[in-house]
Amino acid sequence: MSDILKIENLSVNFRSEDGESEVVRGVSFSLKSGETLAIVGESGSGKSVLAKSIMKLLPHNAYIKEGEILLNDIDITSYTERDMQKLRGSVLSMIFQDPMTSLNPTISIGKQIAEAVRLHSPKMKRADVKSRVIELMELVGIENAEERYNLYPHNFSGGMRQRSALAIAIAQNPAILFADEPTTSLDVTTQLQILDLLRDIQKKLGMAVVFITHDLGVVARIADRVAVMYSGKIVEIGTAEEIFYDPKHPYTWGLMKSLPSFAEKGKELYTISGFPPSPGDLPKGDAFAPRNEYALRIDYEEMPPMFKVSDTHYAATWLLDSRAPKVLPPVRRDMNV
Amino acid sequence: MIRENPFVYYGKKLFVFLLSLFILSLAVFFISRLAPGDPLVSYYGDRVEKMSVEEREWAENKLGLNESLPVQYGRWAKNALCGDFGISYKYKMEASEVIGERIGNTLVLGGIGFLLTFVLALGLGILCAYYEDKWLDKLLCRVGTITSCIPEFWLSLVLILIFSVNLNLLPGSGAYSIGNKDDFGDRMLHLVLPLAVVVINHLWYYAYMVRNKLLEEVRAEYVLLGKAKGLSKRKIIFRHCLRNIMPSYLSLMAISVPHIMGGTYIIETVFSYPGIGKLATESARYKDYNLLMLICLISGAVVILCNIIAQIINERIDPRMRESRHIEEGEVAENGK
Repeated sequence: MSDILKIENLSVNFRSEDGESEVVRGVSFSLKSGETLAIVGESGSGKSVLAKSIMKLLPHNAYIKEGEILLNDIDITSYTERDMQKLRGSVLSMIFQDPMTSLNPTISIGKQIAEAVRLHSPKMKRADVKSRVIELMELVGIENAEERYNLYPHNFSGGMRQRSALAIAIAQNPAILFADEPTTSLDVTTQLQILDLLRDIQKKLGMAVVFITHDLGVVARIADRVAVMYSGKIVEIGTAEEIFYDPKHPYTWGLMKSLPSFAEKGKELYTISGFPPSPGDLPKGDAFAPRNEYALRIDYEEMPPMFKVSDTHYAATWLLDSRAPKVLPPVRRDMNV
Repeated sequence: MIRENPFVYYGKKLFVFLLSLFILSLAVFFISRLAPGDPLVSYYGDRVEKMSVEEREWAENKLGLNESLPVQYGRWAKNALCGDFGISYKYKMEASEVIGERIGNTLVLGGIGFLLTFVLALGLGILCAYYEDKWLDKLLCRVGTITSCIPEFWLSLVLILIFSVNLNLLPGSGAYSIGNKDDFGDRMLHLVLPLAVVVINHLWYYAYMVRNKLLEEVRAEYVLLGKAKGLSKRKIIFRHCLRNIMPSYLSLMAISVPHIMGGTYIIETVFSYPGIGKLATESARYKDYNLLMLICLISGAVVILCNIIAQIINERIDPRMRESRHIEEGEVAENGK
């Protein structure tokens, strides 16, 4: 499989009255066609901004400071809004966290999907558009699609709305779908349904998915590869197996330890102490150092580079340097997530 | 929520309407009569100064002005309920006839002014929202703020000075040239300056409202999904955002009818435009009681009616009310999942 998306050293800054803040800092990763990459991190770690910067859906005050976005080996970093409009929907697509607000409340579901269908094939006949919409609605698991064509978002439950948003996003068979916490605002059972649906559709359409979440449980269910983000940087990236069974970064350890399934009965759930630093005021060295129980002196001085663990597994921690003391990871290898 | 019986609903509104008119008539009646001034001047002109005491008494008796105020009001109200609003002292004919002759002129000026303001404000608002924070938006915002602060009487005088006195391009007073009563083109020429003042004065207030409502809408999450599926900014604004602000814009415009109408009254006076606005100022000045009462009641009726219409539109578009109507369908959607 070849890389359809390659991100090289991407940095995104936000301008504000107090100055600049670095929200995404030198992120590099690649995506193969058909695979699922999960980007995991706390709120404010820049994972959502990373996806939006690739889609060029950043707010006014944000801009790509440096780096390259290569889509099928074509550099789209400097693409204009007009160029991006041709890519969005047809090559790159996205669904969002809150299905309550991501659909227009005054237009019927059917019409909103039809709009996406017609966009890149404007000569399609009306009846064909409608049958395609109904096909899409059935594909995302909306039953009685024909009857529900004319219903409005407020007639739908949260799960049904997310299904509708998904139908809009996949209307033109995109190569890559960015899913920005699509299950966070749903209840647990609906969450699982949507995740399974997403996997199912991904297989049928053969699209790559970049799945953004803060929930490691969700990651285990869906991801082929995992990237862990902290303060705008990818601190560890590898296959799902490598990340879950052989994590190398103390932050990943912390995330694992705070999972309920890892907690021992009768004991309090583990939490990583402290708060992530503000992106406008990053400390010198490793941004995670102040919260890191395994921090070395060098962590406060110099940012750790990406150390190679295997061909697919990299982590940015000085613990992997040959001169560092050997630390036994606090996470069991046979852990069952 | 149980929806009210429409007869009860509109009955309540009608009651409020009539009650407000009654209170208005009381207020205007007593205030106008307690204000200083001699109504006989309006009937007899300068001759009043030469009248003897007996002659004055006879005249007051004839016009029914010598009784106590409550008795006078009672008589006026009784006649008014039968459709007789008394005679105009100045014009010596039925007050309703005097108004009937002029109300057409006011409707033309106010109506065209209102429509122009309505359409131009929408266009200008969209333009500003589309080019948010670009130089065009900034320029329009600044110019708009200044023009909307210019008092209309002053603006009228300046425009008359420039376009009719100095340049001699446009007529500066009246509704038509003498002898040209039925000449459409001539009437239009006379409308240009008053209309310009009406529009310039109100335009920005509404355009700014449209701009801000649109900008609020553009930041909604469904816009992001629209962009993600490949819609252009123009399509999003016209197909999605505009549609969502229209109901509130319509109700705003319903409230604005009296606002714009009040403006035309002043403009009519400055341009000596024979409408009911000019009549209103005249009748208040010369204590032409019956005429003043009728004009106030008509204006008041328009104001109250427009507010009621705005209220109805607002209640109709309240999404929570829509939600309650569809609650059963919504439950079906939930269960069918």
